[in-house]
Amino acid sequence: MKNRKQAFLYVMLAIPIGLMIIPTVIVLAVALVPTGVAFILERGKGYYGGLTVGAMNLAGTAPYLADLWTEGHTVANAVGIITNVFAWLVFYGAAMLGWAIDSTTPAAVSAFMTITSGHRITALRAQQRELVQKWGPDVESVYAPEGGKAADAAAAQAAMMSAEPVAPGGRTR
Amino acid sequence: MAEAAADLRQAPVPQQRQGAPTLVPVPAAPAGAAESPASAPTPPKNGNGNGAKTNGAPSASGSFIVVRDRFTLYCDRPIPSLDMPNALAYEVADRKQEGRPLYALVCKSDMPARISVMRVLKGLEIPAILHMVDWGVAEWPLADRKCVIVIYHRPLGGRVMDSMNATFKRIPDHQFARAVIKPIADGLVELSLKGIAHRAIRPDNLYYMDEARTKIVLGDCVTSVPAHDQPVVMEPIESGMAMPSGRGAGTYADDMYSFGASVLMLNIGRHPMPGVSDAEIIRRKIATGSYSALVGDERMPVALIECLRGLLTDDPEQRWQATNIDLWLNGKRLTPIQAKAESQAQRPLRFADQEFHAVRPLAFAMHQNWEKAIGIISDGTLEIWIRRGHELNELADGIASAIKTATAWGGGNKADTDDVIVARVLSLMDPKAPVRLRDFRCFIEGFGAALAIAILRKQKLQPFTDFINRDLWRGWLTAQTGKTTADNQQFETVYRDLKNYLKDPNSGAGAERCVYELNEWLPCLSPLIDTQYVMEVKGVLPALDAASKSANTKLWPVDRHIAAFLRARYAKGTGAQIDAMNDSRPDRATIGMLSVLAIVQWRLGPETLYGLTGWVGGLMAPVINSYQNRNKCKDLEKEIPKMVRKGNLAELYNYLDNPEERQRDAEGFAWAKAEYATAEKLIYDFEHGQVDRQESAIKLGRQTGAVAATVIMTITLLIVLMGAVF
Repeated sequence: MKNRKQAFLYVMLAIPIGLMIIPTVIVLAVALVPTGVAFILERGKGYYGGLTVGAMNLAGTAPYLADLWTEGHTVANAVGIITNVFAWLVFYGAAMLGWAIDSTTPAAVSAFMTITSGHRITALRAQQRELVQKWGPDVESVYAPEGGKAADAAAAQAAMMSAEPVAPGGRTR
Repeated sequence: MAEAAADLRQAPVPQQRQGAPTLVPVPAAPAGAAESPASAPTPPKNGNGNGAKTNGAPSASGSFIVVRDRFTLYCDRPIPSLDMPNALAYEVADRKQEGRPLYALVCKSDMPARISVMRVLKGLEIPAILHMVDWGVAEWPLADRKCVIVIYHRPLGGRVMDSMNATFKRIPDHQFARAVIKPIADGLVELSLKGIAHRAIRPDNLYYMDEARTKIVLGDCVTSVPAHDQPVVMEPIESGMAMPSGRGAGTYADDMYSFGASVLMLNIGRHPMPGVSDAEIIRRKIATGSYSALVGDERMPVALIECLRGLLTDDPEQRWQATNIDLWLNGKRLTPIQAKAESQAQRPLRFADQEFHAVRPLAFAMHQNWEKAIGIISDGTLEIWIRRGHELNELADGIASAIKTATAWGGGNKADTDDVIVARVLSLMDPKAPVRLRDFRCFIEGFGAALAIAILRKQKLQPFTDFINRDLWRGWLTAQTGKTTADNQQFETVYRDLKNYLKDPNSGAGAERCVYELNEWLPCLSPLIDTQYVMEVKGVLPALDAASKSANTKLWPVDRHIAAFLRARYAKGTGAQIDAMNDSRPDRATIGMLSVLAIVQWRLGPETLYGLTGWVGGLMAPVINSYQNRNKCKDLEKEIPKMVRKGNLAELYNYLDNPEERQRDAEGFAWAKAEYATAEKLIYDFEHGQVDRQESAIKLGRQTGAVAATVIMTITLLIVLMGAVF
C-alpha cells in the first residue's frame, strides 16, 4: 500500500518533468538502450556490467546532450540528433567499450593475483625448509581444514605455548 | 677393605692341578711395572724366581706376585698337600720376617670366600686354629684375574689325614684328650665368642703345626662358604640333608658335632662308613641316631664313649659344649644323654616298598622317592596315618592346609603344584630339615650363598626363584616351633623384599639384586668386571675404566649385575639414577645410565676416568638426538670429545643434561612447530583457494571496470560541460 503511494507520487512528479524535458528524454531513450539491456542482463549479478556500460554509454551521449541543451532544447534538435548516424555510432560505440572493459578486467586482476600468491608460497616453503633443517622433521605438520582438525589444534596449542616464543639463540620473535 | 697391591711378573707354564682355576697364558707384564724399584721384590735366593725379568715371552718358571707389599707368593711353587677343595696352596715368603714358615691359599673364582670371617680372623692367634697372617685381593697370573689370597702359618707336620678316604695311624688314646680334644674345643669356644662357626672341621682339615707332629690345629675355614666342603658324615643330620652350598652359616653346636665326628675318625683311624652313600648315611643317622650310626660295630675306648655320645647328640640343645668337655676332662661323670624318642605309630605306613612307623624317616624317604610322595599325600593316606597312627592332629591339619594353599597358588602346571605340595608337606613333617624341592635342598639362612654359587657356576636358577616366589621359605618358617618370632620376622622381611626384587624385571632388581642383598661381601659378578674382584662400590668405576680397553663399547657399561650391585650396596646414592636408567625412552635411559656412573664418580671418585668416559661418551647418541635443535646437536657432537678428554663423567652429565638448555630447546621447538603450522596453513590457503580466488578476481575485476568507466564518464562530462560553458 505504502509502495503504491510512493510509486504514484514518483509518476506524478515524473510526468510534468518529462513533459518539460521531452527533447532530452528523446535523445536518452535512443542513446541509453544498451545501458537498459545491460541492466536487464546483469539483474541479480551485482549490476557491475550495467554500471560499466551505463557509465561509458552516458559518456558517449554527453556531447550530444550538451549540443541539445546549448543550441536549442527542442524536439526538432532532438530528432536531428537521433537521426544522425554518427551520433548512433558514438552512443553505441561507447557502450561497446563499456562491455569490453567489463569483460577484460576480471582476467587481468586474476592474473595479477596468481602471480603474487606464487611468490608468497615460494617464500613460505623456504621458511619451512629452514625450520626443518634447524629443528628436524619432527617440526613438520600437515594442515587439513576438515579432516585434520587435530593438526590444526596442535598448531594452535603450539602457538599458544609460544605466545612469547624464544627463538634459538635467545632472540624473541 | 683395601685391595692388596700386586706386582705382576712373567708367569710360568701353568701347571694344571685337579680342581685348579682355569689357567690361561699370561702375557708379559709391562716393562715399566717390572722395573719399578718400589714394587720389584727381592729375587728369591734359592730358586728359579725370575722377578726381575722384564722382557721376552712368558717364562716356564720364576714368576711371583707380591701381596700387600710384603708377601712374595711364588706362582710356580704349588703345595698340593695343603690344597683346599676350593683353594690352591702356594709357597710364600715374608719380606719383613725372612724364614717365617707361611703358605698362601689362592681361592677359586667360582666360590665366594668368607670375607667377613677373614676380617675377624686376620692376625688373630687362637689356640688350635691355623693362624691367618693376612689376606688380600691380588692379580693372579695363573687365572688371569684377581683372586682372594689368604696367607697362613704353614703347618710343618702336614695334614693329620691326607683325605677322607685315607687310613692313617690312629692317635694313641692316652694323648687324645689333652692333645686333641681340649685345645680344639677351646679354640672353637674362642671362635664362637667372636660370632664365628668354623664349619670345616674334618680330619683332612686338621694339621700338625710342628714337624714332630705333636700339636694339632684346625685348618682353613674361609675359602668356601660354610660347610660347603664337609662330607655328610661330618655334618649333623639336618645339615647333611642340605646341598653343600645351602647349609647356612651354622652354629657352634654344628661345629661341636663335626668335632665329635672328627674325634671318632681320629680314634678309629679311618672313615667310619666307607663307601656308604650320603643318603644311606643320613638314613642310618635318622634311624639309629648319629652316634650309633657312626660307631657301628667299632669298639670305642670306654673313656671316649661318653664324650662322643655328648658331641654326636642329634639334638643341638643337648649337644656337649666346651664346658661339658672340661667337666669330663676333670673326671666328672655327666648324666648320660637320652635321645628323645620319636612318636611311633602302631600300624606302619607302607611307602616305596618300606614300612614306616615314625614321621621323620618317612619324610626322608619321601624326599628320596619324590615322584611317589605326591601319591600318599593327595590320596589322604599320609594325613589319615598321621591323624590316627600318631594322633598328631595339628600336623595333619597343617598338611591338609598346605595342600589347599599350594593348589590355590599353583597355577596351571600340575607338576609344579605337586612339587610345591610335597616340599611344604616335607617341611611340616620334618621342620628341622632344610627346604627340599627335588634336588634343591637349602636352609633359608644358606639361601644367599647357594644362590651366589649357582650364579657363579651358571647353574639353573629356577629352583631358587621357585623357593622365593612360591613361598617355600614361608612354609618352612611356619613349620618352625623352636624359633622366636623375632627370628621369623627378620627372615619374613628379607624374603618379602627378595620376592619383590624377583617380580621386578628392571635393571637393579631380579636374581642379581637378591644375590647381592644376601651376600654382603660378594664381589660384583658382571662379566665386564668379574675378573677384577670388586667388592666395594668405589672399586666399580676403576674396574670399568680398565675394562673399557677390552670390552665391547657398543654395550652399556652398567649391566644388570652392576646395577644390582650398586643398588644393593649404595641404594641411597644411586636409586633414583637406576630408576631413570630403566626409563622406556632411550634418551632418558641413556642419560640415566650416565647419571648412575656420574654420581658414583662424583661421590666416591676417582677424579679422572678417561677410558670409561670415552666409552660412555660413545653411547650418548640417543641423548644428543633428543635435542630438537640440529645446531645444538652438532655442537654437542663436537663438544663431547673435549669432555671425554677431561675424564669426568659428572661434567659430561651436566653438559648433556643442562636443564636451561633443555628448556630453551623445548621452547624453541614449540615456536618452530607453530611457525611451520602457520606457514602450512597459509600455503594451503593459497593452493586450495584457487576457485575462490577466481570468483573474487572476477568480482574485483568487474568492480574495477565499473569504477574505471565511471571515472571516464565523469571526465567526459566535465570536458563537455567546460566546452559548453566556455
